[in-house]
Amino acid sequence: MTLLQTPIAAEKRTDRDEGLLEKATERRNRRTYLALLLPGLLGLLVSFVFPLAYMIRMSFNKGAPDGVIVETFTLDTYIQPLTDPYYWRVTLDTFQMGVTVGILCVLVSYPVALFLARSTSKYRGLLIAIAIAPLLTSAVVRTYGWMVILGTNGLINSSLEGLGLIDTPLKLTNNMTGVTIGLVEIFMPYAILAMISGFGRLSPQLEEAAGSLGASKFKVFTRVTLPLSLPGLLTAFLLVFVLAISTFITPRLLGGGSVQVLATEIYDQTTGLLNWPFAAALSVILLVLFGLIIAVYQRLTKKIGG
Amino acid sequence: MRATIKGKITAVAALSAAALVLSGCGGGAGAASNDSATSGEVNLIAYSGVWQDQYTAAVIEPFKAKYPDIKINYASKRSSAEMLSALQGQKTNPATDVAIMDNSVSTTGNKQGLFEKVDAAGVPNLANVPEKFRDKDGYGPVAMLDAVGLVYDTATFPQAPESWDVLWDPAYAGKINVNAPPSLLGLSLTAITAKMAGEDYTKGIDAAVTRLKEMAPGVQTFAPNPDEYQNVITGQTVLGLGQNARGQFYSDQSNKKMGVTFPKEGTVYQINTINVVKDAPHSAAAKTFVDYALSAEAQTAFAKALFYAPSVSNAELPADVKARVVPTDGSLNIVPLDVEFLSSARDKWTDIWKRQIITK
Repeated sequence: MTLLQTPIAAEKRTDRDEGLLEKATERRNRRTYLALLLPGLLGLLVSFVFPLAYMIRMSFNKGAPDGVIVETFTLDTYIQPLTDPYYWRVTLDTFQMGVTVGILCVLVSYPVALFLARSTSKYRGLLIAIAIAPLLTSAVVRTYGWMVILGTNGLINSSLEGLGLIDTPLKLTNNMTGVTIGLVEIFMPYAILAMISGFGRLSPQLEEAAGSLGASKFKVFTRVTLPLSLPGLLTAFLLVFVLAISTFITPRLLGGGSVQVLATEIYDQTTGLLNWPFAAALSVILLVLFGLIIAVYQRLTKKIGG
Repeated sequence: MRATIKGKITAVAALSAAALVLSGCGGGAGAASNDSATSGEVNLIAYSGVWQDQYTAAVIEPFKAKYPDIKINYASKRSSAEMLSALQGQKTNPATDVAIMDNSVSTTGNKQGLFEKVDAAGVPNLANVPEKFRDKDGYGPVAMLDAVGLVYDTATFPQAPESWDVLWDPAYAGKINVNAPPSLLGLSLTAITAKMAGEDYTKGIDAAVTRLKEMAPGVQTFAPNPDEYQNVITGQTVLGLGQNARGQFYSDQSNKKMGVTFPKEGTVYQINTINVVKDAPHSAAAKTFVDYALSAEAQTAFAKALFYAPSVSNAELPADVKARVVPTDGSLNIVPLDVEFLSSARDKWTDIWKRQIITK
């Protein structure tokens, strides 16, 4: 008995000591983590939390003509857009643009992402790099590129006219069509990246197994590949949607003043009409819209995941 | 050993946090005042692009040659409204000394107490600025003048169009660019259209709106990009609104592929004022710069470079330049667009354009 007890007692002592030691280490670790996090948190505080708080406070001020900001606490800045059909239309247009761009972008990016995710080629890394290479060029430059391609005398119109297919140039720019085309291309690399990282559960073995059990290629795709890649598709859609509804440059440059979305409206109010409180209120509305979408997305992914 | 490394990491992290706080919040602390009329620096805020290039070459470089100890820091903005935003943001701790901006916006700045009054004691060349180009309360005077013009493709129009009516001509539908308000060009077109419809725009613009609605379907873009001139030069459009000064400049640049004219129904002045910021960090050097900007030498050089009309009476322009800058002697039919009125109408007119005129 004693022979057996001694090692156990020793073990117990060691356990307790180790527990204390672990706790001390944990405390020290926590301090270290906190210290390491501090620069980042401070950075976020200065660059994100403070401006956001300032913007929210600004949205309750009153904007007088000439850019005068009357320090007060009013809900007028919110009541105005929420009761004005024009701003409902702008919000709806923004939402519609986000959904359209999101769907189209996912549709055109999906085959590319699927190919890249399944590829076993030794050039896979290079191919992925090529797919996301457009990110190296700024969205402004790419938007200008689209202006050249889609313009009245642009590549598409002059080719179609040259081929005798059209007499008058198609209106491909300075409207929502141009903005949609531009945005889909600009956000493709993001969608591809989001999908590749979201295709985690996709494996060729599962497809092979389905095939060996007699499923046709189409069935393999609809019953195995597509459901397994759905989380990736959803993530890509959400990412593109969020980017699209907050984007400013492309609707501004390719919209020709005819595309009025929340971002262009905020820009006009801020820099053109100098109504910062109103612009801040619109920004908060946009932010709330983001929040709602993300909440819906999380519900959806939980459903799909569960 | 582990503890020492961790301690070091903690120390480094704390130090970087402290550095971040210092760099983030200490911006204003180092702005020591160095106020001298002949040395130091002047922080100027003015227009970007070709305006900045030409103003730098015609005015700032010669100024620097004359006052080698004054450094000019040029902060460029796309519009006067953006300049005003920047100045409003710095109101409690001004970082800018001089602002050159549209008078409709500088009037707002004057009202908001962003600028200080200038007099001939601080700015001797103010004596050469005629009364009509001085602010009645003594704030920044007019620095240069221009006017809204009709920009056209010279291949389509070998003769410059005579009337603004050409914008309504179905023959050019789809080939027109019009800058919608809040752009000053669009606000000016609204006033011009009201005048053409026999309407007093200060009382209402219903008739103008009806006319502009008729024009809108033929407009290709309400926000021309890269700008209103390049659109015509590259053949995207054949007609558009534009400013005379830049229009003249780009006409030369494009080898006369584009022209600019003042139609007979009249046009609206676009006036820039030069303003000294209140409590400017380099107030004395700022006044030296403003004085130079109002010198006959600087005014003539800028007129030659970018075709802005001088605001001083002693600037002598060569005949070929004079013919291309906007006349300020009363010979041009001008639609007066009162800045006081404009500041109250800007929001309303912009709203009307967005809701009623701009087509999708």
